[in-house]
Amino acid sequence: MSKPKVAVSWNSSCGGCDESIVDLEEKILDVAEAVEFVLWPCAMDFKYEQIEALPDEDITVSLINGAIQNTDQEHVVKLLRRKSKIVIAFGSCACYGGVPSLLNLKNLDDSFRVSYTNSPTVINEQGTVPSADSEDDGHALSLPSVYKSVRKLDDVIDVDYFLPGCPPTASMIASALTALLEGKLPERKSVLASNKSLCSSCSRNDSKPETVSIKNLVRIHEVKADPGLCFLAQGIICMGPATRDGCDYPCIKGNMPCTGCLGPFDRTDQGAKMTGTLGGLLEAGDEEAAKKMADGIVDPAGTFYRYSVAASLLGGKREGEENE
Amino acid sequence: MTSEFKPKIIAFLCNWCSYAGADKAGGQRLECSAEISIVRVMCSGRVDPQFILEAFRKGADGVLVLGCHPGDCHYRNGNIRAMRRMAVLEKLLVQFGIEKERFALDWVAAGESEKFQKISQSMTEAVTRLGPLKLKGYVTR
Amino acid sequence: MENSTDNKSEKTILFLCKCGTNIAGSIDFDRIKKWVKSYGGIDIIATGNLLCSPKEKEKFSQILRTKKPDQVIIAACTPKLHEKTFQELAEKEGVNPGRIRFANIREQCAWVVKDREKATEKAIHLIRAAIRRSRFSEDLFRKTMKVNTDILIIGGGIAGIQAARALARSGRKVYLVEREISIGGFLIKCEEVAPNMECAPCMLSPLLAEIRDSASIEVFAPAMVEEVVGFFGNFKARIRQRARYVENTCMACEECFEVCPVSVTSKYHHNLGNRKAVYTLFAGSVPGAAAIDRNACLHFKDGSCDACVAACPYQSINFEQEDSVKEVEVGAVIVATGFSSPDLSAYPELGYGAVENVLSTGDFERLASTNGPTEGEIKLKSGETPGSAVVIHCAGSLMQEGLPYCSTTCCTAALKVGELLRKQNSEARVVNIHGDLVFNKPGEQKFFEKQKEEGTIFIRSQDLKAIKITTADSGKILVEGKDFDRIESDMVVLASGMKPAKGTGALSELLNLSLDDLGYIVYDHEVLQQTRSSLDGIYLAGCALMTCNASTAVTQSVSASGDIMSRLVPGNEIELEMMTAVIDPELCSGCKLCISVCPFKAIVYNKEKKVSEVMEAICRGCGTCSAACPNGASTARNFTNHQILAEIGGLLK
Repeated sequence: MSKPKVAVSWNSSCGGCDESIVDLEEKILDVAEAVEFVLWPCAMDFKYEQIEALPDEDITVSLINGAIQNTDQEHVVKLLRRKSKIVIAFGSCACYGGVPSLLNLKNLDDSFRVSYTNSPTVINEQGTVPSADSEDDGHALSLPSVYKSVRKLDDVIDVDYFLPGCPPTASMIASALTALLEGKLPERKSVLASNKSLCSSCSRNDSKPETVSIKNLVRIHEVKADPGLCFLAQGIICMGPATRDGCDYPCIKGNMPCTGCLGPFDRTDQGAKMTGTLGGLLEAGDEEAAKKMADGIVDPAGTFYRYSVAASLLGGKREGEENE
Repeated sequence: MTSEFKPKIIAFLCNWCSYAGADKAGGQRLECSAEISIVRVMCSGRVDPQFILEAFRKGADGVLVLGCHPGDCHYRNGNIRAMRRMAVLEKLLVQFGIEKERFALDWVAAGESEKFQKISQSMTEAVTRLGPLKLKGYVTR
Repeated sequence: MENSTDNKSEKTILFLCKCGTNIAGSIDFDRIKKWVKSYGGIDIIATGNLLCSPKEKEKFSQILRTKKPDQVIIAACTPKLHEKTFQELAEKEGVNPGRIRFANIREQCAWVVKDREKATEKAIHLIRAAIRRSRFSEDLFRKTMKVNTDILIIGGGIAGIQAARALARSGRKVYLVEREISIGGFLIKCEEVAPNMECAPCMLSPLLAEIRDSASIEVFAPAMVEEVVGFFGNFKARIRQRARYVENTCMACEECFEVCPVSVTSKYHHNLGNRKAVYTLFAGSVPGAAAIDRNACLHFKDGSCDACVAACPYQSINFEQEDSVKEVEVGAVIVATGFSSPDLSAYPELGYGAVENVLSTGDFERLASTNGPTEGEIKLKSGETPGSAVVIHCAGSLMQEGLPYCSTTCCTAALKVGELLRKQNSEARVVNIHGDLVFNKPGEQKFFEKQKEEGTIFIRSQDLKAIKITTADSGKILVEGKDFDRIESDMVVLASGMKPAKGTGALSELLNLSLDDLGYIVYDHEVLQQTRSSLDGIYLAGCALMTCNASTAVTQSVSASGDIMSRLVPGNEIELEMMTAVIDPELCSGCKLCISVCPFKAIVYNKEKKVSEVMEAICRGCGTCSAACPNGASTARNFTNHQILAEIGGLLK
C-alpha cells in the first residue's frame, strides 16, 4: 500500500510554520518514513504541474499555512483543496489571518507606501509598487494581483481542520498528525486546540489573586516582571484569558505575557472578549479615569487581535455567513 | 449619502434605570427616534463588547449603551464595569475606523425620560450626519 | 456569531395586544400579521384587545392549555409591567416562564413613534427580534431555600444590645460582635441620660447581665467581622475574636491590676485618666474577664514582667492565647456600629488639646461618670472643682463647616454640663453659647427651660465661627466672640456632633454596601424602610444609620429586629432569583476573572476542580460575569449570549 501523501504549502506567512514542522526533530524522520511529501516548497523542490497531474483527493492531507493575500495564493490553495482529502489550516495566519491581517486595520496603499517607498532602507525613486499588469520593453507582464485585504484560509476554500499557533508547537503538530494517521480526528471543522483559555493550564494561574484589580497598566518592557506572578495581577496585559489553550505556554515560561496566537474560542471575537474581560478589571472610578486607563493600552486592536483581525467581527469577512 | 438614509441604532438599556426611563418616555408620549431599537439587559455590566461588535457587523450604524447613574446601580457597580469596558472598546472601534460618534455610553435614571429622548435624538442625528457605516472588513466574492 | 439552531418542531404562539387603542391606534395590525405570516416561525397568532384584562387573561391561559406551545411571544406593553403576570399564568398551564418573551411595542414603539408607518415598521423589528430570540429560550427554574433565623449584630452599644435581647428572647441565636473589650458602647460611659437624667449604668447593668447570662447570645469582644457573604436568609460570616490574653475563668477580681507596673493613658477615659496594661473598662463589664493590652504589657515588650500571672488566683492569664476565628451562619445582619466624634483639634481657634480644661461633651461625660477617671468628680486638671464653665454648641459641625449637618443630639447633651456641674458646685456659673438650638422632643425642650431656670445663661451668637478660645492672663480660659463680651471661665465644653464610626468605610466594603456623601451607609427607603440597607438582609440601627440619640437608636434596632423576626420565620422558605448566572464546568478555564467582577461575591473558585462556580443563592443575575467570561462558560440565565445576539440580529434584519 502506498504511503499517505502530504502537501505543505505556504502563503502570506513568515516561514515559522514550516520551521515548526522541522522542529519535530527526530520525529520528522518517523513522519517522513510514514508519509510521502508531494509538496513542500520551503523544504524541497516540487513543481505545481506535478500536483495538477494528481487525481482529485489523492493527497491525504494538505497543511496550508499563511494568510491569503493575492490571486496566486488563491489559485494554489484551490488546487490543493481539489487534490486533498483533508485540508488543515496550519498556523494562526491560515486560521485567523494572523499578523498579516493587521493590514485590515489600515489599507493596502498605506502598506505599499511603508514597504516600497517610505521605509528608510528603501530607495525607489520611481515610486514603483506592485501591480498586476505592467509593461517592460514592449512586453506585457502579468503578475498575481494583491487583495485589498487579507483573508484567512477558510474565506477562500473549504477547510476541514484548524491548527492554530504562531507557529503551532511541535507537540500540537505531532498530536494532530498522529490523530490524522490513526483516523482519530474530531468532528470536521474543529479547531485542534482547547476551547478553554490558556489560564486553564498556565502555571501562574494559582498565583492570580481572588480579585484582580488593575490600578496601573504597564508594558512588559517597562518593568521587571515577577517570574511567578500572573501578568494581569502585575498590570501587564496578557492575552491568556482570551486565547485558546494548547501551546504549553512557552512565552510565559520565558517571562513574557501571552500575545494571543492560538486565537479566539468558538464563535467569539478575541478582541471583544479581551475588552470585556480586561476592561472589567481596570480600576477607574469615573469616566475620565476609565479613559485614562484605556489610554494605557497603546494599541488595543493590535494587542487584542494580533493574530485574528481576519477572523474578527469588524475586520473580517462580511458576507455569506449569516443564516438569514 | 442620500437624504433618505435612515440609520439603524441598537441601544442596550439596563432593566432598572434606563429601560424604565425609556418606558417613562413612552408613558409621557415623548416622541423618540424610530431608528433606535432597544435591547433590554439586566445591567449595563451585562453588555458584552461582542454584542456591540455584532451589532455593527450586522448592520447597525450606531450603538448606545445606557445604564444607571454611577452610584445607583441595582447591582452595586455593574455600570462602573460597563464604563471601564466601554472606554477600552471605544479605542478599539476607532482603530477599526468606526467614528466615535457612532458609539455612546451614558446614564439614564428611571425618571429621566426626557434625557432618554434627548440622547436618542442626538444619537440619531449624529449617525445620520455620518451616513451608513462602512466596515473595514472585506466582502468575499 | 449567532449560533442558529432552528428547531422547526417547536410550536410558537404570538399574542398581539391592541391595548385598546393604545397600540392599535398607532400600529397597523393587519400589516404586522401579514408580515408574520410571510416571515414564518409563528404557528398561531392570537390578537387581543386588552390582554391584561381578566377575561383575556383567561383566554390566554386557555390557549396555552389547549395548544401547549413551546414558545410564547407577547407583543404588548413593557415587560416591566406584565412579564411576571404572564409568566405566572403560563406556569400554571405548564409553560415554563423562561419561554415567555415580550416585545415592547407600546412604551418603546406605539407611544413614542408618531408616524404610523414607522411605528409599524419598528414593531415588526421588535417582534422579529423576539421571534429570533425565542429560538434560544431556556427553561427557568423556581428555587426556594430554607432560611437561617440566626442573627449577626455588629456593634455592642445600646442599639446592638437591645436588638440582641429582643432577638434572643424570640429564640434566635445571636452573635454580638464588639470592637472594644466589652459591650456597652458610648452609653455606658455616661453618668446620666438627658433629658430625664436617668442613671445610665443603672439602666444598662441589668441588660448587660441578661446578655451575659443568655444562652442564645454569643458575645465576641474584642472582635471584628472579617467577611460576610451571602444573601437574606443565608449569610456566612467570619468573626475574628482577638486574643484577650486572659481566659474567661477570670472573675475580674482586679488582683492583677494591683501588681501590674504599667500605667497607660486610657482612651476609654478619653485620655483623662490611666489604666493598667491588664484592665477592664468598668466593673461589671460583659464579657466579665479582664484583658491585656499587648502594646503596653511588659511581657510582650521585653518579657520582663509576669506579675499578673503570679497574682491571679484563677490562673487566668494566658500570654499564649491567640486570635480565634469563628465561621457563623446567619439569616440577617444588623449593623449598629455607633458613631465617632470629629477631631476638634483640627480647629485651632477652639483650643482643644492646646488650652487646658477645654473638653468635648464626651470628655465631660467621662468626668461626670462614676465609672470614669475621676469616679464622677468633675475636676479641673488642677484637681479643683470648676467654678465656671462655658459650653460652645455646634463645635466642629456647622460652626466650623466641619460636619455639614446638625447632629440633633448635641444641644441636649450640652445642657447636661450645667445640670451636672451645679450638682457638684451649686455656685457654678455656666454659660451656653449657641446658634440654633435643636430639641427633638418636648422633654428636651422642658429640660432646656429647667436649665434656664436653674441659672445656665444662654447666649445666642450669630457668628459661632468667630469664637476664639485661649488662655487668659489670669490663667483661666478666655472665650471671645463677635457678639458677646469676653468670658473668663475655668472650663470650656465643646458640644461636638457625631459622624460615622471609624471603619464604616471598610465595613461597607466588606458588606457590599455603599456610603452616602456624608459617609453613612446608604439605607433602603427614607420613609418605609429606613433600617434596611440597600442589600436585603443587612439592617442598620442607631448612629450607623444616621446621627441620633440613644432612645432613637433603641427604637431603630428593635424595629429592625421586629422586621427580621417577621421575615425570617423558622421553617419558612424564601424564593430565590431565577435568572442567575451559571458556569459550565466543562468550558470554564478557571481563570477566576469573573470572581473579580462579581458585585456580590457570588462566585467561588473550586480549587479541586479548577473551575469557578456560581453560588446561585447569592447571585442576583446582573450578568457582568458573563460579559467578563472570555469563552462563554458563564451564562446569564434568560439573557444568554445566544439570546441577546439573536435579538440583535432580529432587530437589524
